[in-house]
Amino acid sequence: MTKEKEKKHDSKFTRRLIAIVRYELLWNIRKKKFLGLLVVAFALATVALGLPVIMSIVRNEPIAQNPDQVVTAGVGIGALGFFLFAVVIAMNSISGEFESGTIVPLLTKPVSRTMIFLGKILASFLILLATYTILLCYLSIGSIIVYGPQNNLHLLPLSLVGSIISTFIWIAIILAIGTLSKSSMIAALGAFGMWMGLSIASMVILVFPEQAGVLNYLPGNGASAYIGSPNNMISTGTSSIASNLVTYVLNPSANTTYYKPRYSLNPPSYQAIPLYTESLSLTLARSIGVAVAYILLFMFISWFALKRAEVVE
Amino acid sequence: MLGVFGLEFAIETIGLTKRYGSLTAVDKLDLRVKTNTIHGFLGPNGAGKTTTIKILVGLLKPNEGIVKIFGDEAKGDVPDIRLKIGYMPELPKFPKHLTGYELLDIYGEMYGLTKMARKEQVPKLLEMVGLQERGRDRIGKYSKGMQQRVGIAQALINEPELVILDEPSLGLDPVGMVEVRELVKGIAKMGTTVFISSHLLHEVQQVCSEITIINRGISLASGTIEEISAKFAKLAAMEVEVSEYSDVVIKKLKELPFVAQISVDGKKITIQTETKEDVRAQVSKTITDSGGIIVSMNLKEQSLEDVFMKLVAESGGVEKK
Repeated sequence: MTKEKEKKHDSKFTRRLIAIVRYELLWNIRKKKFLGLLVVAFALATVALGLPVIMSIVRNEPIAQNPDQVVTAGVGIGALGFFLFAVVIAMNSISGEFESGTIVPLLTKPVSRTMIFLGKILASFLILLATYTILLCYLSIGSIIVYGPQNNLHLLPLSLVGSIISTFIWIAIILAIGTLSKSSMIAALGAFGMWMGLSIASMVILVFPEQAGVLNYLPGNGASAYIGSPNNMISTGTSSIASNLVTYVLNPSANTTYYKPRYSLNPPSYQAIPLYTESLSLTLARSIGVAVAYILLFMFISWFALKRAEVVE
Repeated sequence: MLGVFGLEFAIETIGLTKRYGSLTAVDKLDLRVKTNTIHGFLGPNGAGKTTTIKILVGLLKPNEGIVKIFGDEAKGDVPDIRLKIGYMPELPKFPKHLTGYELLDIYGEMYGLTKMARKEQVPKLLEMVGLQERGRDRIGKYSKGMQQRVGIAQALINEPELVILDEPSLGLDPVGMVEVRELVKGIAKMGTTVFISSHLLHEVQQVCSEITIINRGISLASGTIEEISAKFAKLAAMEVEVSEYSDVVIKKLKELPFVAQISVDGKKITIQTETKEDVRAQVSKTITDSGGIIVSMNLKEQSLEDVFMKLVAESGGVEKK
């Protein structure tokens, strides 16, 4: 390289990584489906905040103050929201490059495939972080207005981290299917099939409550349990990391009790028969461990497939 | 002539082979592209040109053989080698959500160009390819010709030592094709080695100093156009215009050992010869001795097209996809 060229260049790893991140971020924030989902998420958040106000006006009753509204609701989009954000962010990320042919100029630039993969993951993380932060801020301000002063707002970053981990499982799964199939449609439909399958399985398995614990080792809501009394139900799977993290910080000695539902028709009644109990810390550690294991496994599959991919067409 | 790295060859492949199942797309290809030349890679559709280029830029892995770029062996995912290469793919596709400016800026950053260098380089390149007015428009709004021009600009963002252009004129109208030719000549003037694949003979003839002809993945000929024409043009045609001639003239000409075929059109006799030697004197003497009067005589050498068609036909014709 000539001296003049050397002045214009540097071989900084970060410069090249930033280029990939910028490339991916611009793609994401200009995607119609991403912007559409963002609008839907804000619309739902607005409805969730506005509905109690409307009801209170209709009933002519003041809204009950709830200082824990924000920390319990989190980003307020639930398991389906996590899944949908993962789909819109990841379904085109690698497979879309193959489908549109833009992978050709990208892979022929002096950046390794590992760096391209890392850049795309980092961009997905940043876009999620920004989206969930904005949602959380919006819900926090709205909750303060509607439900009065809020407690434990310092725990919101934990809620943010938990939500991102829950979403990243699906991002990793969608990326892996997309990189292997090189088809965005297969990636989205494959992941949707998995999500639906797991949701149906979790309902079916309620018939066999003793075996429900297996759901804790799959992505999704996991099994149902309660903390303290059956009125305080929680999900123990990877989709509930955010709320369980907050609950754990507020109550570190809490226990989760798995139960067997018992229904009676005469007289009609419902009873939760305790099966076994474990500490919330164990429930939480397991769900985070399972999430991290799935994220690493599917990321590895995706990275390996990209590394070995040949661009024939 | 030695290039910037003091090396004779910008590209060198030894026994390069790529198979797709039972189909051999590239078959033990030995390719040498000298530095500071415009080297044409000529072959019919499906000859293995794009497959070879994809191996050179790291998009495909060869089954066998070695690829060297400026003397460095390209094995696997080697970003440092791609630092020296600017590549424009066949019918390039770029992210539609980016503007032309953003695309060049991001690609420049991937090459490690500093912000200041990119600020200088990107507008210069947009101007060079005639897109300075449309640089802030999204690529999704560009015509095919404009995308082709962005393709050339992105291949030059790093001022590379080697530019590889895969069918740069594909899908362009005649004006666009002329513009691309001029751009290629301009790139070469900057001291860059240009490797250009094409199935268009006239394009290659107009811009390239050296060529390699490929068909069915096999290199059929390589060298300067003159060298190849001289080596493979065994047949030549001679046009003789006569004011008077008889059947005796035609009979005597047919008896000459180097004459392959004779056709007569009015007073014009076309003689196909099987020798590369200048036989005009013998032909002239034969006609005159047989009572013919020569008005003019022209030797028509075989064109590159004739050589190309002959080599492709001899190598088994065009691959049916």
